[in-house]
Amino acid sequence: MEKTKEGRKGVKGMNYFKKLMSINGKKEIPSDVVPTKAKEIGIDHLTFEALKEIINETFGNTTDLQSDVIRVGNSEGCIYYLETVVNTEMLKEMLGNTLENSADKDIVIATVDDLQELSKKSFGVSGYKLLKTVNHIVSSILEGRIVIVFRGVGQALSLNYINSEGRAVAEPTTQTVVRGPKDSFVEDASTNINLIRKRIKNHHLRFEKFMIGNETRTNVYMGYMYSIANEKIVAEVRSRLNEIDISAVFESANIEELITDKSITVFPLAMNTERPDAVATYLMDSKIVIIIDGSPFVLIVPAVLTDFFTSPEDNYQNYFMSSFVRLIRYISFMIGLIMPSAYVGVLTFHPELLPTTLLLSVIAQREDVPFPAVVEVFIMEITFEILREAGVRMPRAVGQTVSIVGALVIGQAAAEAGIISNIMVIIVAITAIANFVFPNYNFANASRLIRFVLIIVASILGLYGVLLILVFMVAHLSSLRSFGVPYLAPVAPFIVEDQKDVFVRLPIWSISKRPSYLSPNIKNKQKPQGSPSPPKPESGKKQ
Amino acid sequence: MIMLTEKLSLTQIFTMIINFLLGSSIVVGVGIEAKRDAWLVVLIGMFIGLIIMSFYLYLMSLLPGKNIYEIIEYCFSRKVAVLFALVYLSYFIYISSRVIRDFGELITSAILPATPIEFTILMLMLVIGYILYLGIEVLGRTAEIFSPYMFLFILLLFIFLYAGEKINLTNVQPILSSGIKPILKSAIPSIIAFPYGELIAFTVIFAHIGDFKITRRVCLISVFVASLILLSSVFLIIATLGENTAARANFPLLIAARLVSIGEFLERIDVLVVFIMMLGILIKSSVFLYGGLKGIEYIFKIPYRYFAMPVSCIVAMFSIFISLDFSDHLIEGLNIDLFILHVPLEFIVPIFITFIVLVKKWKKQRKEEKGLKV
Repeated sequence: MEKTKEGRKGVKGMNYFKKLMSINGKKEIPSDVVPTKAKEIGIDHLTFEALKEIINETFGNTTDLQSDVIRVGNSEGCIYYLETVVNTEMLKEMLGNTLENSADKDIVIATVDDLQELSKKSFGVSGYKLLKTVNHIVSSILEGRIVIVFRGVGQALSLNYINSEGRAVAEPTTQTVVRGPKDSFVEDASTNINLIRKRIKNHHLRFEKFMIGNETRTNVYMGYMYSIANEKIVAEVRSRLNEIDISAVFESANIEELITDKSITVFPLAMNTERPDAVATYLMDSKIVIIIDGSPFVLIVPAVLTDFFTSPEDNYQNYFMSSFVRLIRYISFMIGLIMPSAYVGVLTFHPELLPTTLLLSVIAQREDVPFPAVVEVFIMEITFEILREAGVRMPRAVGQTVSIVGALVIGQAAAEAGIISNIMVIIVAITAIANFVFPNYNFANASRLIRFVLIIVASILGLYGVLLILVFMVAHLSSLRSFGVPYLAPVAPFIVEDQKDVFVRLPIWSISKRPSYLSPNIKNKQKPQGSPSPPKPESGKKQ
Repeated sequence: MIMLTEKLSLTQIFTMIINFLLGSSIVVGVGIEAKRDAWLVVLIGMFIGLIIMSFYLYLMSLLPGKNIYEIIEYCFSRKVAVLFALVYLSYFIYISSRVIRDFGELITSAILPATPIEFTILMLMLVIGYILYLGIEVLGRTAEIFSPYMFLFILLLFIFLYAGEKINLTNVQPILSSGIKPILKSAIPSIIAFPYGELIAFTVIFAHIGDFKITRRVCLISVFVASLILLSSVFLIIATLGENTAARANFPLLIAARLVSIGEFLERIDVLVVFIMMLGILIKSSVFLYGGLKGIEYIFKIPYRYFAMPVSCIVAMFSIFISLDFSDHLIEGLNIDLFILHVPLEFIVPIFITFIVLVKKWKKQRKEEKGLKV
């Protein structure tokens, strides 16, 4: 008996674990947690009073729901809107101009046709919708539209008077460029789409709308170039967006976690940007963008590793310079990754690698330091991470304090006090700076984490351990996929024709093809061509 | 049984074969017993290697899409094939652990003298197990990414040794001083079996390749390139160290790299060499282990990924138990294995199988012809 009990316990334990880990395990949700959904009842089945009651009941005692009785002509109607989201100024104007004016005339709104005629006449330009069910009425009100219900009419009129107050389009804060467009996305999705449409005036640019978040009902748009983007990848993104079942979505990072390929990794499998020109560039490369209402960061999928080393500015400056800068980025990635661990490994296991004079000076500096190299590195790296996190979170007003404390107290004083050596300060500083080189912030985070693993392994196995972890990392990277595209493409699998815009950037006129690992529908961007040569001197004239 | 179809690209095959051939042969050096004509041994080995490679390719092209185990099944029956698979998979796993042992000894004697060899080997095997768990495709991509660095480092080693005026051509001259006999003696059969005969492990991998015609060319080119690199490394060893030091050294290339000294700044670049070797070892051991895993998959009909981690741990353990010390290890590898394992399993059995496949195919063809006539 004992055994079976234990066995059962074990199974139970497993089940609990499975429940914790399971992504698809669907539990039954208790009924009071389910978001209250308005009923799918056609309006024509309800009397005017019953409809009013249902709407009032659905919204309960929220104070910002306004319901007023209005008269249009000879008909009685009821107007509903949330005063906090509707532009009330415009609403007043509209009511005065269009609806009240018609009171003089003998208009009777008794049927759907009447309503349609009136709406066409009065709101033909500004856009109106006729709603058929209570469900639509409720979601319309929530979206910030106003809804007018008329007695005896089987449909309701919904008008767009959304108060779209938000941040104005400003310069990007996280991805700045020296030369290039200075506008950036804002929180409002329609403004963002507007910014993209301004750059790509093409009827093939399409946006599909999804409503994600059972409770927040956030608008999410998937944009792609219909003619260029591979329809299989588009279908994959679409189906993944459709499958999302989550209560709330606030930022594109939420969506990113929900749609990227199921794998345990520290590397980002989707790119994000707040620059419209970057989005336009990637759309032209046959990628797909996902815009979330309420977030200025737009997702770009599929992403490959080399994308994180490119910046939109690469295309705006001389290609020799761009290629050089890209090389610097790759080097700084390696520096940010292995500099501290190489320090630990070399000092602990392979001091002979250093030139003798350098070795002597390093040892002289470390004479007063009581800790082994690995402890020293950990002290400084952790301190730096704390400083960095404090720098990001703290209020602007005290920003100066951190830089003074960081630079003077921790940097200089720690070295003088003999806790760490001077060379350690250099190592931490160069590692930190190298980590800020990336155009994409979330990629740098990956190398930040791996760095600590490398330091630990380097303290145990020296440079051999560092190499092992690097091989491990590369194997891991080559097993990743982003929406079916190998994460290390076009390096592994190696694709020769895509190398023009990876480690170096060749002149724009020479890159006539889109990246083939994305298998775009139209491979050629433009005709292969050369740069214009200087005009030939006319044969007749001589100087 | 769900098995993902894995495809290897030509560059992946190319880099894998090169790294495979360089693998342990660059660690311990080949043909050193022929003294100053060692590089000629590799030259002869290259031609034989090309023949061996084309023989294996021919065997694979007879029944495209089938690996060696399935080919044996085609020849006899599943029961016999399981028996053969057992022999082959233990052979592959054995070689895999030998390769790992080579490298473990190198690490212990060259860069981490105080760390127990068990630990260094286990860490390497865990990485290999992880790679194989992810699949042969990932192995191919890893090879693809690291190979350029390997070529670069070999080139750098050449430049450094040359610039440091360490290469002394008188060490190599006179060529063929003691006649052609010692060269042939060390070339046949040892260089045939090691490293070229070991290409038998690729008979498991070639089943993943689509186009055979281009593959054949790529494979032969990669054997050629690998031999050139091997040849130049052997030449480098003899030219820098001289025949006597080279013959005495356990890891000649490593000793040669230690001579590098440029401007009192670039010194002791052993780690670079260890990197070159590590990649080769990693690929070689993984390919052998993959061959073994595929054999297990064939016997038990369970995807090989499940076995990747446990079997790599077994290899780690086995590579320690395999021999008492390094000289014991070398003697076992050079003298005993050669006739008991390498020659029969790398040549006699495959030739036998090829013969049977040909006979079977011929019979089938004749039957069909007869059927047509009737």
